[in-house]
Amino acid sequence: MNSKDQQLTPVSMEMHYKVTGFLNMEYRLLDEERFSEWLTLMADDIHYWMPGIENRRRENLLSEGFYDPNHMAFFDDNITDLSRRVARFAQPSAWAENPATRNVHTLSNVEVFEGESESELLVYSVFQSVRSRGQDEEYVIFGRRRDLLVKSGDSFKIRKRLILMPNATLSCKNINTFL
Amino acid sequence: MEKVYLCKATDLEANQVKKIENNTFGDIAVYNLGGQFYATADLCTHATASLAEGDIEDDMIVCPVHWGMFHIPSGEAQGFPCETDLQTYPVEVVGDEVFAVIEVDENIIAKA
Amino acid sequence: MSNLIKTIDTTDCLEGIESVCDIEGGRISGEIFYDQKIYEQELEKVFARCWLFVGHESQIKKTGDYITTTMGEDEVIVIRQKSGGVKVLLNACPHRGNKVCFSESGSTRGFICNYHGWSFNVEGNLIGQHESGIYEDSNFDKSKWGLKEVAKVDSYKGLIFATFDPDSPTLEEYLGPMTWYLDSLFDNQEGGTEFVGGCIRSTYECNWKIAAENFVGDILHAGWTHDSAARAMLGGSVAKVSDFDESYSVNWNGHGYEFALDTVGNVAVLGDSQLNKYLHTIKPSVAERLGEFRSNMIGSVSSCTIFPNFSFLAGQNTVRIWQPRGPNKIELFTWVVVNKSAPQDIKDRWRKGAMMTFSPTGVFEMDDGENWEYCTKTAKGKVTAKQDLFIGLGMDTYLEDTDLPANVYKGQLNEANSRAFYQRWQDLLQAKSWAEVPNRNKGKAEVEK
Repeated sequence: MNSKDQQLTPVSMEMHYKVTGFLNMEYRLLDEERFSEWLTLMADDIHYWMPGIENRRRENLLSEGFYDPNHMAFFDDNITDLSRRVARFAQPSAWAENPATRNVHTLSNVEVFEGESESELLVYSVFQSVRSRGQDEEYVIFGRRRDLLVKSGDSFKIRKRLILMPNATLSCKNINTFL
Repeated sequence: MEKVYLCKATDLEANQVKKIENNTFGDIAVYNLGGQFYATADLCTHATASLAEGDIEDDMIVCPVHWGMFHIPSGEAQGFPCETDLQTYPVEVVGDEVFAVIEVDENIIAKA
Repeated sequence: MSNLIKTIDTTDCLEGIESVCDIEGGRISGEIFYDQKIYEQELEKVFARCWLFVGHESQIKKTGDYITTTMGEDEVIVIRQKSGGVKVLLNACPHRGNKVCFSESGSTRGFICNYHGWSFNVEGNLIGQHESGIYEDSNFDKSKWGLKEVAKVDSYKGLIFATFDPDSPTLEEYLGPMTWYLDSLFDNQEGGTEFVGGCIRSTYECNWKIAAENFVGDILHAGWTHDSAARAMLGGSVAKVSDFDESYSVNWNGHGYEFALDTVGNVAVLGDSQLNKYLHTIKPSVAERLGEFRSNMIGSVSSCTIFPNFSFLAGQNTVRIWQPRGPNKIELFTWVVVNKSAPQDIKDRWRKGAMMTFSPTGVFEMDDGENWEYCTKTAKGKVTAKQDLFIGLGMDTYLEDTDLPANVYKGQLNEANSRAFYQRWQDLLQAKSWAEVPNRNKGKAEVEK
């Protein structure tokens, strides 16, 4: 993710307000385990991508620096993949979800810019995901995000999401949430 | 002015470097950059290292020890940790023989 | 040769290992998953002795290409040499011990220590230092102070292994007839395999043996643990393993492979029909290359661990090391393996499918983690740790009368491989040297080449 060479035109204050409202609503759905509703916020052609981060020297960088589209990824999903993940959460036999994982997602540093076409918006942000499981487990993941939203009636759909955490080693066993 | 014989032109392939031992002026590195010959001191100006053991990248020689770089035609130090420029010598090619032309000056005689 | 790692003196064996690991009685104790003293012994008598997987040939193609990994908790650099060979070097400067390579992979002329500028070439030889004159004044002998090199490095069908122990058996002896089974994944097509780019690393609060044993021979858990993932990916439950007409658990020297002969049971859970189709397409050529039997294993319901901590699943094509990080912690390195000759589209589908199922975000792996962590954590209780854990399924299933290589047991719903794994672990912990490690193999050692 590098915005250096991009022509970034901020949207109006009103549009900014609408977009942050939409993204906050998205995170509320996740925290309330309303995964099916969350899924409806995705465009049919969604690319939901969280590449693996590789700890490499500056002279040996990958095509995108610390990550590469052809390398392993935590998420490299289309709508079918996301639906399958949601389907697992819905199973009574998702043992590791009962007792439920308690989630708090927050979003900050939101910047909203005009997209390449009139219907698209480019959003840069910073996320924080706190999960607690069982009696005393706590997992925190921070990262940066770049979303491509497309206007849809009064609201938006998410067409592309790039999620980058700074960690080359995930400090916990899994990511049983969306970011 | 002294002409020091280095090697036969045909003995040094394109984009190769070779060390020529010289007890008077210090070892000399002779380079063939695409048919053009150059000569510099062989000893890196940073630490003890024979530049002839390094790699040529375009018109730079990369020191094998700490990977500092020198511009071969000018001897200019161009990459950390090298800060002192490298002595260069004009080259004369006579027939198949390559010579370095060395100005005899006490100040530029490197340690043998 | 002066750069070879100095071997460490073997300390005395712990007393009472039989009481926490009674294989004939079909029981172990949770203590082996939590005890610090046992862990210290494992680092020395298992990880500093055994052949450990350190990488795949395809990850280091050219001179100077390297990856960093660990052997036990020892940090090493695996680097391609000018000669075409591979060296495994300790990632520690012989001056003050600082790490010399801080990146996980790349391509380099060598390594320069950040502390005092000691510089090593790709062979690990010390070639200079910052302020080199000071060393020359002290008559310092550079040739003696290179990066230390492990005792032995060897590879099998692209898989690179290394050992710290000069007295270890050869890799060929170590793997024994398990190679016959390894070929069903790693040599089923001309050109062999390669790893997809990248390496996903994650952290479990579990003992390394729990994870390794899960892959050595525990398909039993799949039908229950992974029900939710199977329903998500396939729209139904996982294959009922007890319904298979024919399946096996085979082991040798603590390595184990459990498998059915259903060709595509494992690959099917990736939920991508193109991958099933690919395996069906190559199956006749696999049969020609490896025989009918092994052509049925290429993506069948199966799992494998090469002792101690290298595991994979054919079909899902996930390959992993469970790196020990204390008695109750591991770092998991995962890769995706594909046939070199497969079309790019098929390789991409495997990369995505393996991650969708077996990775920290994988719908299957998601339900493993918690089980493994709590198998470990309950042993924190001193009383709980001393209780018996049952490991006695399939006690009388050894097949005397079979042409298959290695120690062969009937059925994959069987704890025979798990017992063999813990038996080997116990044998190593009780042996002061390789010569003292008993040979418990009773099956066929020879395999046709």
